[in-house]
Amino acid sequence: MMTQTMIAPETLEDALAAMHAEPGSMALAGGATLVAMMNAGLVEPNSLVALRHVDTLRGTRQLDDGGIELGAMRRHRETALETPFKDGQTVLSYAASQIANPTVRNMGTLGGSIAFNDPGADYPAALVAANATILIVGATGTREVSAEAFFVDWYTTALEAGELVAGVRVPAALVGSIGHYEKLARIAGDFAVASVALQVTWSGDSIAAARIAIGGSGPTPLHLAEADDMLIGTGADSDALSKAGLLLAQAADPVDDVRASADYRRKVIPRLLAKAMREIAPAREAA
Amino acid sequence: MTEMVTLRVNGREHPCRAGIATTLLTVLRDQCELPGTKRGCNQGVCGACSVLVGGKPVRACLTLATDCEDREVTTIEGVGTPARPNAVQQALIDTGAVQCGFCTPGMVIAATALLEEHPDADIETIRQGLSSNLCRCSGYRKIVEAVSLAARRTAS
Amino acid sequence: MKFEDSFVVAASPANVWRAITDPGVIASCLPGCEDIEALSPTSYRAGIRVEVGPIKATFRVEVELTDQDMPNFVRCITKGEEGTRASMLQATSELTLRDIDGASTEVAYDSDVSVTGRLGKFGLGVMKKKAESLGCTFAENFRVQVEAA
Ligand SMILES: Cc1cc2nc3c(=O)[nH]c(=O)nc-3n(C[C@H](O)[C@H](O)[C@H](O)COP(=O)(O)OP(=O)(O)OC[C@H]3O[C@@H](n4cnc5c(N)ncnc54)[C@H](O)[C@@H]3O)c2cc1C
Ligand code: FES
Ligand code: FES
Repeated sequence: MMTQTMIAPETLEDALAAMHAEPGSMALAGGATLVAMMNAGLVEPNSLVALRHVDTLRGTRQLDDGGIELGAMRRHRETALETPFKDGQTVLSYAASQIANPTVRNMGTLGGSIAFNDPGADYPAALVAANATILIVGATGTREVSAEAFFVDWYTTALEAGELVAGVRVPAALVGSIGHYEKLARIAGDFAVASVALQVTWSGDSIAAARIAIGGSGPTPLHLAEADDMLIGTGADSDALSKAGLLLAQAADPVDDVRASADYRRKVIPRLLAKAMREIAPAREAA
Repeated sequence: MTEMVTLRVNGREHPCRAGIATTLLTVLRDQCELPGTKRGCNQGVCGACSVLVGGKPVRACLTLATDCEDREVTTIEGVGTPARPNAVQQALIDTGAVQCGFCTPGMVIAATALLEEHPDADIETIRQGLSSNLCRCSGYRKIVEAVSLAARRTAS
Repeated sequence: MKFEDSFVVAASPANVWRAITDPGVIASCLPGCEDIEALSPTSYRAGIRVEVGPIKATFRVEVELTDQDMPNFVRCITKGEEGTRASMLQATSELTLRDIDGASTEVAYDSDVSVTGRLGKFGLGVMKKKAESLGCTFAENFRVQVEAA
């Protein structure tokens, strides 16, 4: 008989030691995904390490250079409503506010969401658009991985066995940049069929900088520097948008599932991109 | 393997047995004799199992019992009684907003937490706040009306 | 779930046939395939380990070659269960070999797989993607192994 235990450490060191002590241990964050999988019989962890009591994982830290660090145990609700994002960093609060529904946003955490890397999840694309860095801790120390490199494959990340997400560092966005997250879902609160996360900076009538990431359309968020470049110097006219959108759609590798067919997802990507640009027009005028 | 956990539910201590995969929902219904909290989907989607943990609404089906030892749990049985319904419960009765009643405990929990935070919630805020909960009888209009009535009554 | 693909091996149809009907070769080319054991000249048993993120499962399968037309065509039926839990796997697969120029052979496969039970509850869309990439890895390993022989 396996020892089935719940461990509730108060420090990160103790959490890592507990993960190490019992091979097959799983971290328990909000439980919104893990417990649902346990209920469905999809995973049967022999030991759980609850991260709820580790205070250092919960806060945010404002950095001198305008960056913000968010702890892994930040609830979606806190990221959506209580984090002082500036400029294009707001892509993250837009994404967080569209995850599931208010009750699930009280439970689910940043670390749990990105460690699971559901292809329909909202944070991954937003973090790639924000050019964020994932902060990882393990028994042998800490390491940092760019969000782009962190998401590796379907439900798979750069985390090694025994490692934990400690948090995320969101760098300062360009002054005056606009962040936006456009999500297409069957109903409010469902996982994304497809999504577009972006940071755009305008200079007069043309785009000076852009970073676009597509969610829900492959094993990892899709970011192509080439697609970003196609928008730079343009006025986000429909021609430029459809060119960039098509390039992204061609590179996407979406699934066929209950939410939508792969073809539909590919078709919708350019339109979501155009919609995202229309949605930020008022913010641009205000800027 | 199960262990003993003591849960504080509606201000009372309940000694329970729970394994690693035992949810708060299971313990409330099967051991605490509090069957008001309903099991709908067991996947976090429907909201029928909503309870307050530390005053905040959560899914009892996605909360592990062994992870609740230090937390105050409030269920539908704890927010009001037939003799003394809370404002939301009274408004649901007065509005006739209960059909089969399966979603009602979860709705009451969600609405009670919502009005705690936004006592003067307008219709849009109520709709957003209740978007965590599904009603298979699709009685949403009446439920929103009832919560709005409760908000107006509490305000006046 | 239906899968269809083809790949080319620089070897004669006879050599490809010998390898592709050899359970030992199949096992060594298929990631996650373990403990393969022949039950008869036309049937064998194996374990297949699949992993999607935190979800891990090992199917015990039995494969039976139901039709053979050496060296052109094989059909096999795979049936299996996952450990003590409640997932079942069933597949009908066909392999067609086509002689290209005597020294190279095209292998086309066509497989219809169904998974029911707990794993069926999980997104089959992603399972299919995983299986497709497994197919590609198998094809590459097989090609390298047969061409080296
Ligand atoms: C009804 C419903 C609707 C949802 N809709 C959406 C949606 O629209 N968009 C969306 O993005 N998500 C959605 N989700 C998922 C939700 O955001 C989850 O909260 C999130 O994916 C997992 O976070 P968690 O904190 O609950 O993690 P848990 O469920 O506790 O853990 C998830 C996984 O991550 C691991 N883990 C947790 N924390 C860490 C850490 N710090 N380091 C390493 N590994 C860790 C766990 O071991 C587990 O494997 C939905 C969930 C539900 C129930
Ligand atoms: S039973 Fe918990 S949300 Fe449906
Ligand atoms: S009243 Fe029947 S489910 Fe809402």
